[in-house]
Amino acid sequence: MTGTTIGSVRILGAAFFSTHHASAQDLLAGRERAFTPPSYGLLVGRARRFTSLLTQMHIEVCGALQSIAAEPPIAVFATCHGEIQTAEKLLAEFREGAMVSSARFALSVHNTASGLYSVAIGSNAPTTTVTGANAIAAGWLEASLTALEAQQTVLLSIADEPIPAALQGPSEVGAAAAFLLGVAPGAGRAAQLVVAPSIERGRTPSPPAKPSGPLPPDSLRLSIESPDINPLQVLARAVDAVTRDEAATVPLGRIQPGATLELRFPQDARA
Amino acid sequence: MDGHVITGAALANCLGIDNRTVFERAFAGADSFLPGSAFCDLPFATMLGILPGAAVEDKLLDCVVTRLAAAALASVRQLQPAVRAAVDRWGARRVAYVFASSTGGLEETERWLAPDPRLPAAGLRYSYADHGIDATSAAIARRLGVEGVCMALSTACSSSFKALASAIRLIDCGLADAAVVGSADSLCRTTIFGFHSLGLTAPTPTQPFARDRCGITLGEGSAYVLIERDVDVTRRHALARVAGIGAASDAFHHTTPHPEGIGGQLCMRQALDRAGMTPNEIDCVSAHGTGTRLNDAAEAFAVNRVFERRVPLTAIKSLTGHTLGSAGLTALILAVESLRRQEIPATLRCTPADDSLGVTVVDRPTPIRLRHVLVNAFGFGASNASVVVSQPGGA
Repeated sequence: MTGTTIGSVRILGAAFFSTHHASAQDLLAGRERAFTPPSYGLLVGRARRFTSLLTQMHIEVCGALQSIAAEPPIAVFATCHGEIQTAEKLLAEFREGAMVSSARFALSVHNTASGLYSVAIGSNAPTTTVTGANAIAAGWLEASLTALEAQQTVLLSIADEPIPAALQGPSEVGAAAAFLLGVAPGAGRAAQLVVAPSIERGRTPSPPAKPSGPLPPDSLRLSIESPDINPLQVLARAVDAVTRDEAATVPLGRIQPGATLELRFPQDARA
Repeated sequence: MDGHVITGAALANCLGIDNRTVFERAFAGADSFLPGSAFCDLPFATMLGILPGAAVEDKLLDCVVTRLAAAALASVRQLQPAVRAAVDRWGARRVAYVFASSTGGLEETERWLAPDPRLPAAGLRYSYADHGIDATSAAIARRLGVEGVCMALSTACSSSFKALASAIRLIDCGLADAAVVGSADSLCRTTIFGFHSLGLTAPTPTQPFARDRCGITLGEGSAYVLIERDVDVTRRHALARVAGIGAASDAFHHTTPHPEGIGGQLCMRQALDRAGMTPNEIDCVSAHGTGTRLNDAAEAFAVNRVFERRVPLTAIKSLTGHTLGSAGLTALILAVESLRRQEIPATLRCTPADDSLGVTVVDRPTPIRLRHVLVNAFGFGASNASVVVSQPGGA
């Protein structure tokens, strides 16, 4: 297989949640269940009020890995759409002429879940939130590079909630997955992060000059994500691969034009 | 952290839409805020830092260039020659694009779902793709001619520093040799009403660290830097060095800072450690300085704890307004200009001082020997980041 290996990490644990699937394996097998909300046990009292499905799902999967982490980890959260349901509710308040709810506004930022998570577990470790159309791939990249740079355990949590119909976005099931990434040899499931096809390293010939005139009318609407990536399938496949001993390759999405980030699990990697 | 140099910088905000104008007006202490009514109808008083050229009237044109894109493009146009040189040096696929914003395309969605009654609804187009933080990323990367790793981050008001840290990681791991790190945020009613609902907007222009401070003046704009490996060829073009970056969480409350600015203390110390510096080597702190009572008090406490001396403090939000996700890079670029001029810009309206804070806020343009400036960006989600930026020669 071709590609450039960025680095190797150890996946110390993985958790999955879907509003309509009991497990990653059920999702991959097409077995659905009735809508089931997360329990998001890490949040208590006032912190539970107003939290979106997105934040609840993030907290759900992070909480499932809480007992594995020896100390509060650096946390990387990833979401393609962010707090989209909260944003829609805020705008509905506007439309109805009401004043904006302060609590709802406070919880509308993309890093709501990471902030509430760090407060809930009393962590001073840094958190960040990766977003955008390629958030799954970029989240994996950010989390892995952070783990390798800091030589510390990093929690990666990826989630997205369904987009409200009023926003004309793609319809989705709410789903989340979390992975605890380590760098110490021996523990957990080994995985390699690979850019395919191979990235260029070092000086390359200058490309032809790019047009510098006005942008065509629709050019601001283009996404770098490839349409063949199904986020639900990607999350489920990654979680499923962690639990097996078999070799597996999970394409995570496009990370630069013409290059996809892959998670590769060797067959004999389990410690 | 290996060495990284800033070889290009561009910003646009209420002071102007090009570096020259912004710098001239910032170091002259120009007051550029307008009443909130210049942007939209408001049932409360507040001032705003409105980007010239992205005024409400532009939206009547039904142009595809959203307000977010207009803000970003003002910087992108300026940065283009430096990026072209980086592409010549490294190749297009070795130059990454990392973008940060707090609100992203929210203003565009707001126009669709809750149109401003002062604006005609007919003729407006809406695409959900315009909502995302990365709504402009692919187009701007293409406009700049960069084809490297493309990603977006959003951590409220610390967003652009988190993006800078991510870009440096891409360089350090060998995925890129250079990165365009951009940030933009545009005003929208959701933000204005939202901050007001939290009791954080000031009815009068913001007064960071002043005795009578009463809140934020929201602003909009963009700030972009080009960052490259620190090697001979880039050192010749360097405007400054990124000496160290730190990040930490408050672990206290989602929107209220820890009273002792614990996260701020941690990230300032981490930035200093990574820069290999002691607090005594920092000549100036460019504070997050939002002008709210709690934020300024917590930051002042943290600065006093870390520095244990009266380090000169400046708060550029008194000039630019709070540009949210762009706030960190906006302050950083003004710090780079301070290093070049050897001068700290004035913090407007910071007197009479709040003596209880125990900080020395620079209240007039001050010539001073500057080698290293520490810049803070703190935000919702208990998210804090600091960057030490230094003269390019490491003097």
